Amino acid sequence: MSASTHQSGGAKAVFRSHEFILFVVLVAEWIFFYFAGTSKNYSGATVGFGTLDAQFDIMRHSCEIGLLALVMTPVILTGGIDLSVGSVLGFSAIVFGKLWRDGHLPIDIAMLGALATGALAGGLNASLITWLRLPPLIVTLGTYSLFRGLAEAVAHDGDTFTNFPASFINLGNERWLGVPEQLPILAVVAIAVWLLVHRTTFGRSFRAIGFAPEGARYAGLPVERRLALAYVLAGTVAALAGIIYTARLGQAKADDGTGYELFAITAVVLGGTSIFGGTGSVHGTLLGVAAVAVLTDGLSLAHWPREAGGVLTGLLLILTLTASVLPKMLSNRRSHRQTGPSTPQPSPPSP
Amino acid sequence: MKRHFREWSVAGALGVMLIALAIFAPRFYEGQPMLSRLTDTAPTLVIACGMALVIISRQIDISVGSQFAICGACGGMLLAHGWPAAAVIPVSIALGALFGAFNGALIAGLGLPSIVVTLATMVTWREALRWRTQGELINIGPAQWFGLSQKVGQWTIIGTALVILAAIAWAMKRLAAGRFVYAVGADAEAARLAGIRPRLVTFLTFVFLGALTGLAAMMFSVQSLQVDPNAGNGLELRVIAAVVVGGVSISGGRGNLWGVLAGLLLLACISPALTYLGVEAYWEKAIQGAIILLAVVADGLRNRKAQR
Repeated sequence: MSASTHQSGGAKAVFRSHEFILFVVLVAEWIFFYFAGTSKNYSGATVGFGTLDAQFDIMRHSCEIGLLALVMTPVILTGGIDLSVGSVLGFSAIVFGKLWRDGHLPIDIAMLGALATGALAGGLNASLITWLRLPPLIVTLGTYSLFRGLAEAVAHDGDTFTNFPASFINLGNERWLGVPEQLPILAVVAIAVWLLVHRTTFGRSFRAIGFAPEGARYAGLPVERRLALAYVLAGTVAALAGIIYTARLGQAKADDGTGYELFAITAVVLGGTSIFGGTGSVHGTLLGVAAVAVLTDGLSLAHWPREAGGVLTGLLLILTLTASVLPKMLSNRRSHRQTGPSTPQPSPPSP
Repeated sequence: MKRHFREWSVAGALGVMLIALAIFAPRFYEGQPMLSRLTDTAPTLVIACGMALVIISRQIDISVGSQFAICGACGGMLLAHGWPAAAVIPVSIALGALFGAFNGALIAGLGLPSIVVTLATMVTWREALRWRTQGELINIGPAQWFGLSQKVGQWTIIGTALVILAAIAWAMKRLAAGRFVYAVGADAEAARLAGIRPRLVTFLTFVFLGALTGLAAMMFSVQSLQVDPNAGNGLELRVIAAVVVGGVSISGGRGNLWGVLAGLLLLACISPALTYLGVEAYWEKAIQGAIILLAVVADGLRNRKAQR
C-alpha cells in the first residue's frame, strides 16, 4: 500500500546508496572485530577473528542463512513473506536422515528425497496462497507449525540421525580448492537467484506483483504462477540448506534451523529490500547476510555471550526499518505543513 | 445462528470432541486433573483476548511469548525478594504495557509492518532475558498460589480469566471503543474519515495486549514453586492458533471473543485427547499446525464463495 511512493528517480539514488552504506558498515564491523576479536595465544600464534580459519568459519556458519535469505528475497519482493523456511529446513534434514538410515538409500538419493520434500513443502505454501488467495503471513505461520511438528513426529521426539559417511560430512567441514566446500554451492545459488531477479522477466514480474498485485494481473502477468515459483524455490533451497546444515553438524535433529527465518528476513530487510515488496536487490541481501554473520561470529570470537548476537540482530533490524521509513515520514510531514492537510496520513499497514 | 456460523461450527467441533472423550476416555473428566488443565489454559485465554483485539484491528503480535517470559521472570524476582503479590501484579502489568507500547509506537507511529517489528522484538527480549538469567530458575516459594491454598488459587485464576473474557466480549459489542477496533480492522481509511483515529486505536490495542500479557505472566508464575525464564516459548503460536481457529479473520474486522474461547478449548483438548486415545504425543504440534491451516482454508473458501 505504501509502496507507491518508492518508485521515483530520487528514491533510486537513495536505494543505491543504501547498499553502499551497508558495505561501509560491513567493513567497519570487520575492522572493529579484527582488533577486538583477534589475540595471540601462549606460543605467539594469532588466534581469533583475524585468522583465515575464522573467516572461513564465518562463511560456513552463514551458508545456511545465506541460502534462506537469497530465496526469501524474491518472496519479499512480491510483497509476501515465508515464515516456514526454518521449519522446512528442519523437516527436510529429518527426512534426509530417515531415508538414509532407516530407508537404507544411498546418500545421493536421500538428498534428492530431501530436496523433493522441500519442493513439496513450498508447493503447499504456494497452492494455499495462490488458489485460495490467503495471506502468505498466516499460511506460512500455519506451515511453520506443521512442518516443525512433522519433523518432531518423524524423529519420534528427540531421535537424532548421526554416523553419516565421512565423504558427506566433508561437505560441511572440509575445503575444496582452498575454500570451504559449501561455498561453491552458495555461490551457484546466489548467481542463479541474482540472474533470476535482475536479468529475467521473472524478476520484473516479482517487483510488479509487489508494487500492485491487481495491476500486475490486469497487465496480463501470470501472477499465480510467478508467486508459486517464488515459494517452491524457497522450499527447495531451504531443503538444500537443511542438507548442508546436517553435513556441517554431522547430525540431523528435529529442531534444526529453529529461528532461522528471523535471520533470513533480517538479512533481506537489512540488504535494502522493502518489506512491503516492490524494491530490493540480491546483492543487497548478500551484504545483509555478511553484516549479520560478521556481527554474531565476531561477538562470540570477542568472548561475548552467545545471546548478545541475537539481541543486536533484533535491534539492528528495528533500527534499519526505522531508518528506512523516517526520511519519508519527515518529508511527508514537511509537505503536509506547506500544502495543508491535503495529503492523507498513512494508516498502519496490514501484517 | 447463520451470522455466527463460523463460531458455532467451532463450538460444534468442541462438543463432538468432548462427547468422544466422554465415551472413549471418561477419565478425562476426573475433577483434579481437569481443574489443573483449566488452570493451565487460563493465562493463554487472557492473552488470546488481547490478541483477538490486535488481529481484529488487522495487526499481529508474535512477541507475546517473550513479553510473557520477561514479565514472569521480573515478577518472580520481586516475589522472591518478599514483595507482596498485590504490589507485584501491577508492576508486571505495567511492564507488559510498556513492551506493548514499544511495539505499538513502531507499528502505529512509524507505519512499520507488525509481523516484522514483533519478530524483531520477540528475539531481542528473549535473548536479552537469557543473557541476564542464563536460564536459572527463580524460587518464589511461599508466594505460590498468591499464598492461598492450591484449590482456592486455581479457582481464582480461572475466575479472573473468565471475568476478563466476559468483560472484553461485552465491551467489544457494546462500547464505542470496541466498535472502533472493528472499524479500524475492516477499513482504516473509512474509519479515519468517520472521525476515528486508526493509529491511536492500533497503538492502544498493542498496549492493552501487553498489559494482559503481564497479568497472564503472573497468573502462570504463581502456579509452581519456581519461575522458569524459558516459559512462554512458542506461546505466541498457541495464542494465534486459538484466535484464528476461533473465527477471527486474519485480514481484520471480523470475529468475537466467544469463538476464541471455543477455539482455545478445542486446541487445549487435543493434547490430553491424544494421550487418552493412545496416539503418540509428538504428533501434537503437527496436528495443531494442520488445524490452523484447516481454519484458514475454511475462511478462504468462504471468502471465495462470497466474492462470486
